[in-house]
Amino acid sequence: MAARLLLLLLAAGLVAVPFVAPSHLVFLVATIGSTAIMVAGLSIVIGMAGQISIAQAAFAALGAYGTAQLAALGGVPHWIGLPAVAVATAGLGYLFGLLSLRVADHYLALATMAFGAIVQLLLIHLEDWTGGAVGLPVPPLTLGGRSLTRPIELYAVIMPCAALTVWFLHALMTSRTGRAFSALRMSEVGAAAVGVPVLHHKAMAFALSAFFGALGGGLYGLQTSYLDPAQFGILESVRLIAIAVIGGLLNPFGPVIGATVFVLLPETMGALGRYMSLVFSLLLLAFIIVSPRGIAGLAPRLRPRPGRRRGG
Amino acid sequence: MLAQILVSGVTAGAVYALVALGFVVLHRGTRVVHFGLGDQLTLSAYIVVIGQVFLGLPFAAAILLSLLLSAGFGVLIERGVMRPLRGSPLLVMIIATLAIGAAVREGLRASMGPLPWPVPFLLSPAPFTLGGLVLVPANLAVVGVALAVMLALFAMLRWTRFGRAIVAVYENPTGAAIVGISVPGVHARLWGLSSVLAAVAGILMAPLITLSPDMGTIGIKGFAAAILGGFNSLPGAIAGGFLLGIVETGAGVYVSTAMKDIVSYALLIGCVLLLPRGLFGTAEARKV
Repeated sequence: MAARLLLLLLAAGLVAVPFVAPSHLVFLVATIGSTAIMVAGLSIVIGMAGQISIAQAAFAALGAYGTAQLAALGGVPHWIGLPAVAVATAGLGYLFGLLSLRVADHYLALATMAFGAIVQLLLIHLEDWTGGAVGLPVPPLTLGGRSLTRPIELYAVIMPCAALTVWFLHALMTSRTGRAFSALRMSEVGAAAVGVPVLHHKAMAFALSAFFGALGGGLYGLQTSYLDPAQFGILESVRLIAIAVIGGLLNPFGPVIGATVFVLLPETMGALGRYMSLVFSLLLLAFIIVSPRGIAGLAPRLRPRPGRRRGG
Repeated sequence: MLAQILVSGVTAGAVYALVALGFVVLHRGTRVVHFGLGDQLTLSAYIVVIGQVFLGLPFAAAILLSLLLSAGFGVLIERGVMRPLRGSPLLVMIIATLAIGAAVREGLRASMGPLPWPVPFLLSPAPFTLGGLVLVPANLAVVGVALAVMLALFAMLRWTRFGRAIVAVYENPTGAAIVGISVPGVHARLWGLSSVLAAVAGILMAPLITLSPDMGTIGIKGFAAAILGGFNSLPGAIAGGFLLGIVETGAGVYVSTAMKDIVSYALLIGCVLLLPRGLFGTAEARKV
């Protein structure tokens, strides 16, 4: 009951933000939304399914560049282009997941890392398609002949998507597929033994992570209105992992919590801003050392839940 | 042409081989793949610059300082991060080493600035021609130092107590513990050793490319070399390094310079998918 009330308050607050807050803050909250969508993909693939992926920035790049070029070269409006690109990227993620059956653990991390590096290099070197190292302008989102570029307008598009993403994470966790992901995380052999199709679910996890990566990347591209290949490297993938871990990998609100910390904290630091990335890296490290299990519930939880203790 | 590619590729290959050795030396004993090793390599090169420019040390002293601090940093990682995490899921270890790398990189970016620093060459960078081949003394020095370090590594593993304890842990940790070798102690040594190998690679590499906080991405090349070599074989890592250097240089010549890096990453993915044991690795049982 209290949780419902809190949720209602949060929703009311988010609806009120664009009316009361200055436009810079509206932009920041929308950035939290688009970042959280990208990170939601990692919650699924790393948190639920237990597969490491250092390629989330590459999927975001495919979403952002794909949407921008579909609009610029093909004249496809973003309303159709962005979902279409996200679905196509999900297909690519599925294929990537199929290949990952042969690979696990460190090798999977390396393969995803190399995939991310290749995507970034292609963005830089396929100049005719991507604008090369200089970058690429993103055509604005239009509605009825009007360009939607003001922070408030993009906020109105991004935040419902972010809310739907959180709802989807919650629904997925309690679904049959979500439980199959958990089985996979705990033991692949065990999952296969109880009849979970391992290959299909691994590929599914990657497909979902690619979908949300591309969706969030595309939305973020609309906000910045300019794409720079340097934004989509391995370092960005690691940053997204840090956001996912610090927010909480098995919590539907984890991506939002992590993104809030990572987007808002630098704003309040002022001149110390350039140490921000260092602070976040150390924070991530401290987080892992203090509660290596807590970061993901990666090991099966054996402790009884608090509040259900006997006696007393 | 082919001979020239071989000669040029060997320079890059020597550095890749050192980085690959750093990965394999550590992984064989501790089962950890250190995703921050590339950034430690950058850190060592920066320490040389700091020693020279800010402390006014002679070049040799700056290098010595860098190697010592690198070894210390490696041991510190083992004590401070890896020991508390012993027994955690692999995913946690991977994220921890990624975080170490990110902390080093961002620390350097914040304190030393994003712009490149000049690093002195070991020998003259002016090329000369010998029998139709263009040779660069600085590059030859890189290959020479790398080979000397590799020989020293193998000699140490073969003939010193320090090294033989490491080999014992490689072969059988439980057996090593029974005969009185401190396994955690060996793990600390391995972290130090692997950090020193990366440091040498960094100091050799920095003058050839520009020293910037992002130089650590060279670590992926080291991974590719280590995977080519099977990830659990020291000679394999060296062969993988040289092979990668030569293939990459060849791709730069015959395909395009832009494709050079893409080729080595594609090689990494291809090798992981089709040849997970690499060229020289041995099979390992997969645990349930």
